[in-house]
Amino acid sequence: MFDFFKKGSQILGMNARNLKYIRPSNRKKAIRIADDKMLSKRILKKGNIPVPKLIAKVSNHEDLDKFDWTKLPNGFALKPNRGFGGEGIVVVYGRKKGRPDAWVKADGTMVTIEDLKNHIRGILDGNFSLSETPDTAFFEERVQLLKLFKPYSYKGIPDIRVIVYNKVPVMAMLRVATKESGGKANLQQGAVGVGIDLATGVTTTAVQGKSKMIEYVPGTRLLLSGLKIPYWKEILELAVKAQEISGLGYLGADVTIDKERGPVFLELNARPGLSIQLANLTGLKKRLERVDGLNIKTIKRGVQVGMNLFGGEIEEELEEISGRRVIGVIEKVKLTGRNKKEVEVEAKIDTGAGLTAIDMDLAEKLGFKKTIEAFNAQNFPKFLEQQEARDLNAKEGKRLLKEIPGLADTAIIHSSHGTSYRPMVRVKFEMDKRIVSAKASIIDRSHLKYPIIIGKRDLGRFLIDVNKK
Amino acid sequence: MFIEYATQHVPEETVRMILMFPIIVTLIAFIRQVIGIKAFGIYTPSLVTFAFLAMGENGAKYGIAIFASVIAVGLVTRFVLKQFRLLYLPRVALNLSIVAFSILALLILGGNYQRTGLASVSIFPILIMISIVEKFVTAQIKGGSKAALILAIETLGISLAGYYLASWNALEEMVMEYPWIILIVLSFNIFLGKWTGLRLGEYFRFKNILKKVN
Repeated sequence: MFDFFKKGSQILGMNARNLKYIRPSNRKKAIRIADDKMLSKRILKKGNIPVPKLIAKVSNHEDLDKFDWTKLPNGFALKPNRGFGGEGIVVVYGRKKGRPDAWVKADGTMVTIEDLKNHIRGILDGNFSLSETPDTAFFEERVQLLKLFKPYSYKGIPDIRVIVYNKVPVMAMLRVATKESGGKANLQQGAVGVGIDLATGVTTTAVQGKSKMIEYVPGTRLLLSGLKIPYWKEILELAVKAQEISGLGYLGADVTIDKERGPVFLELNARPGLSIQLANLTGLKKRLERVDGLNIKTIKRGVQVGMNLFGGEIEEELEEISGRRVIGVIEKVKLTGRNKKEVEVEAKIDTGAGLTAIDMDLAEKLGFKKTIEAFNAQNFPKFLEQQEARDLNAKEGKRLLKEIPGLADTAIIHSSHGTSYRPMVRVKFEMDKRIVSAKASIIDRSHLKYPIIIGKRDLGRFLIDVNKK
Repeated sequence: MFIEYATQHVPEETVRMILMFPIIVTLIAFIRQVIGIKAFGIYTPSLVTFAFLAMGENGAKYGIAIFASVIAVGLVTRFVLKQFRLLYLPRVALNLSIVAFSILALLILGGNYQRTGLASVSIFPILIMISIVEKFVTAQIKGGSKAALILAIETLGISLAGYYLASWNALEEMVMEYPWIILIVLSFNIFLGKWTGLRLGEYFRFKNILKKVN
C-alpha cells in the first residue's frame, strides 16, 4: 500500500499541476494570450511560427448581419475566440453540391448559412467561452489532412500535443479523432491519445477517452503504435519556440501537419490536461522534476535535452517483448578466442553476409596464429571456381579438421572477387550484453575499416535498427 | 461566552447554521482536493446542503426527491428546447420555469395523496433547488448530458454528506460549546490549499501507469 502511494509521486495530479506548475510558470499576461486564439495567432505569426490563416472574424451581431458569406472558401473552421476543450468548433470540408448556401461537415451532415449564423450567435453570447462572457467568432483556413494520418483519423485532423516546461519538451501525444469524439481530437470527448517516444517521434501506447487503454484504431485492426511522425524535430522546435514567444512556462502546444505546409501551430494551452500521462503510460511529474532548474539557452538545445532524456522507451519495450536486443549497424564486441584470449573491437553488422568473418590479424591476436599458418601451408589456390571449391572441400575438409589445431570448420566464400576456400574458427563474442558462440571465417580484411563483420547466422538474438548509433 | 452573547441578539438557529458554514465548505473543499469529486463547484453543493438542512428532520428524504425531480425535468426539457435553437439566457429561463411548474405539480400531487410534509416545507429551500438547474444546463452544454448527470449525482452526494455532518449532534454541541474550533477548520484549509498530492480519484484514473512504473 505504501509502495502504491510512493509510485503516485511520479504522476502529476490536478493539485500539483495547478499549484506547482501552472501558478508559478504561467503569468496572467501569458495566460491571456493563450486564452485568446486570435491574439495568440497574431503573436505566433509575428514570431515566424506557421499558423492557420485567419479568414474573417465576427465580433458582434452587427458584424454578423453585414457578413459577406461569399468570401468563405470551400473548407474552413469556425471557432469561438475564447473557447476551450475543443467546444464550439465547426469544421466544413467542402460545399454542398447544388447548394450555394451550404457546406458539408466532417460527419457528412449539411450546414447552411442559417445554421452558421445561429452558431455564431451562440458564440457571441458566450456559450462556448471560458468565462461565459460575450465572445468573438472567427473563420480560419482548414488544415489539409496528411495522407499518412488518413487511416488513423475518423474525420477530423489529428494533432500533436507537446508539453513544454523550462524550454524542454517533456511529453507528447498524437491525438486522433474517433467516431465517439465526433471528429474532434479532444480526449475528453472520446478521442484517442497515442504516446510518442520523444527521441524518435514514434508512437507507443494509446488511451481512448479518460482511461481506456487500447492498441488498435477503434473499429479496425490497425496498430496505433509504431507510427513515425514526420517532421518530428521541427514539431518539437516549434513547441519550444512557442513557449519562448508566449511566455507560458508550462505549455501545452498543439501542432498539426498540413499536407502542403508541413507543421502548423494550432493552439497554445495554458492548462494542458493530464491524460497525456496515460497515453504514454508514464508519470509527468518525474519528468518535470528532471527538467526543473536546467539552464537551457537555445531552442535546439532544449529539444535535444528532451529527446535525450525522454526517449528510447520504444527500444526497451521492443527488447522486452521480443526478447532480443536492439543493435545498430556498428557495435562494440568483446571477442574471446583460443585460451581465453580477449580482444575488444568494433564490428560491422552485415545482414548481407551469411557468415561472420574476422580479419587475419585479429584472428592471430585471438590465438589462432598456428591455425592460420597450418591452413596457409596447404597452399590452396587463392581463388577457384565454385565447383573446384566444392570438390576441394569434399576431398580435404575432414583431413584438415583433424590435422589443423583450432580449426572449427571450413567455408566456401563467394565474394565479388571470386570464390575462395577459407578456414573457420570458433570465437565467442559479447555484443550488447549477449554472448554468442560463432564460427567465423578468417579473411584478410586489413584494407577494410572494421576487422570483423557479423553475419546473419549469428544475429538471431538481435534486432537491427539502422538509425541507432 | 461568545455564544451566549451572540444568541442574545441573533436566533440560536442562525448562529448554529453560520458556525456550521465553515465546516460544510471545508468538507466540500476536502472532498474536491483530496478525494477528487468535482460536483458543481463549492457554491452549489453548500447551498443544497443548507436547503436540505432548512427542510428540517426529513431534509434528506424531501431533498433527494426534489433534487432528483429537478434534474430529471431539466434533462427532459433540454431535449425539448434544443430543437428551437434559442439563445442561452431565454432558454435557461424557460428551463427554470418548466422545472418550477413541475415541482409545483409534485407538491400538489403529494398533497393529493395526503403527503403534506413535502408541501409544508418552506419555499426558499425549494427555490434554491430549482435554481441548480442552471448549473446543470451549463454543464450539459459544456460536456454533454452524461457528464452533467455525473456532476449532479456528485453534488447530491456531497450535499448529503454535508447534511449528515451538520446534523450530527455531537459536532453541533461541540461547535456551540467551543466555537473557537472553527479556527482549526480554517487552518485546515491552508493545508488543503498547499496540498499537491494525488487525489484519491487520480489513483484510480492513473492505475494503469501505477501498475507499470517501478
